[in-house]
Amino acid sequence: MMEHHVELDNITKFYDAQERLHALHEVSFDIDHGEFVSIVGPSGCGKSTLLKIIAGLDTPSSGEVRLQGGLVHGPHSKISMVFQAFGLFPWRTVLENVEYGLEMRKSPKKERVEISEQYLEMMGLGGCEHMYPKQLSGGMRQRVGIARALAVDPEVVLMDEAFSAIDEVTGDVLREEVSEIHKELGKTFVLVTHNLSEALELSDKVVVLSSRPAKVKKIFSVDLERPRDRTHSSFIHMHKDILHLLKEELENTIIRHKLKGINELQKLHDIEGAGA
Amino acid sequence: MSVEKQKVLPLSLTSRVLTPSKLVNYLWLLPLVVGFAAWEMITRFHLVPHSSLPTFSGVLVVFFSSIQDPAFLLRIAHSFLTLICGLVLAFSFALPMGFVAGSKNRFDLTLTPLVMLVGALPDLSFLPLLVLWLGPGSAAAVIMASVAAFFPIYFTVREGTKNIPRELFHVTTIFGSNRISTFTKMVLPAISPYMFSGLRLAYDFDWEIIIAIEIATSVAGIGSFIQGTVSGGALESGFAAILAIGLVAVVVDRVFFGTLESWSRKWA
Repeated sequence: MMEHHVELDNITKFYDAQERLHALHEVSFDIDHGEFVSIVGPSGCGKSTLLKIIAGLDTPSSGEVRLQGGLVHGPHSKISMVFQAFGLFPWRTVLENVEYGLEMRKSPKKERVEISEQYLEMMGLGGCEHMYPKQLSGGMRQRVGIARALAVDPEVVLMDEAFSAIDEVTGDVLREEVSEIHKELGKTFVLVTHNLSEALELSDKVVVLSSRPAKVKKIFSVDLERPRDRTHSSFIHMHKDILHLLKEELENTIIRHKLKGINELQKLHDIEGAGA
Repeated sequence: MSVEKQKVLPLSLTSRVLTPSKLVNYLWLLPLVVGFAAWEMITRFHLVPHSSLPTFSGVLVVFFSSIQDPAFLLRIAHSFLTLICGLVLAFSFALPMGFVAGSKNRFDLTLTPLVMLVGALPDLSFLPLLVLWLGPGSAAAVIMASVAAFFPIYFTVREGTKNIPRELFHVTTIFGSNRISTFTKMVLPAISPYMFSGLRLAYDFDWEIIIAIEIATSVAGIGSFIQGTVSGGALESGFAAILAIGLVAVVVDRVFFGTLESWSRKWA
């Protein structure tokens, strides 16, 4: 049996020690080598928390994350990340930002400049090395973020809403490029997003989480030819199915909250009734 | 390439020509010149007796002879060193405390009310006690200066730390930064614009504090020199000393803090 690249095994997460704020409930799924997986779910369901747990930025209350069979606890040198608000250091130039990861790994200056320039070139940022992040547009900043994540040669690239702070057209172009990079470098990508088209466009697999506490609702395999065509009937169908699932989740939550509210009201009435 | 060359030749002719737009940068000199001229007039025509206000030209003459006098320079150096010691002492406490208060709410809730309480008291009211304990020497001045410098540094560092986006901490963790390099390579540059403002304020406060202490306790700095000369009737020397302090304060402010700020303006 082929070993999975990343395995999530019964991840449960409470935000508080009293176990009242239940974020994730027994989330399990596997990610294969070189697979592009997207995690979608109703907003606030804890998908970013799940990504943070994979990244080692947060610890699960129970369950474990394994990378190639080995337990992941804390940040891992083979796991890198692209951030929603880009996470660039404004006081560092573009080149210095990309160098950061290599610098933390104590690689010699000459080598890290060489590698960083290579990735900047790849992200179409040749010539911008000595600019500061404030001089760049949002899309260009995220290119720097991606170059920085790739420069440390990770096996797994995590993307936390990586395109959501970028305008649509710029995002489209960047998504296409990320898709290319995924194909060329053969690294494993995990993307958290609330944008279903984005998930379907990029992923081999879309994991749909339920509302809080989040469980795996369904996993869709996206066997569509790349580059993906958003107007293709299968694409549209799958989009519809996931959307339907998510809406159902959302409605369930609303009904649950309403029921809870009615219950509370009923209790109040009962108390009043008993008092009278 | 040609752009590069211009940069390495600051004395090239183009950069020395004073165009009207460059002249605007020196407009602040105008009120000064007018002020000094008015001073000279008023005293020249004896509108004010020389025993209250010496002539500006007289002050200048004394100033230029004073700054060639090693004893005078030593007094300025003494005051300046006292100030630097106070600043360094304050900084070495305020930086870690401000950082801890800014990053951990728990500490902020305990630390900041205490700091505010002490800060609300006029610093100089402690001076007689300090002199009682430490004697009227530089030690009391250094302690007093560091107390005064503590607050602006503490609060700006705290504020700066609170304003670091969480994401940047995630970035350092993801790329395997240890605690020390997170502090030196992320926190310090991130809070630096705040911290520089705090240091600059502290520096300005401290000049006032140092001179006040030197006048009050007659320790060996430039403050006691002003006190001595003015009460002895040598007003020119007193004014020359004030001019000298002003010059040192402004030059250090421009050169040191100006450089720091122009660095952070590049990216912030």
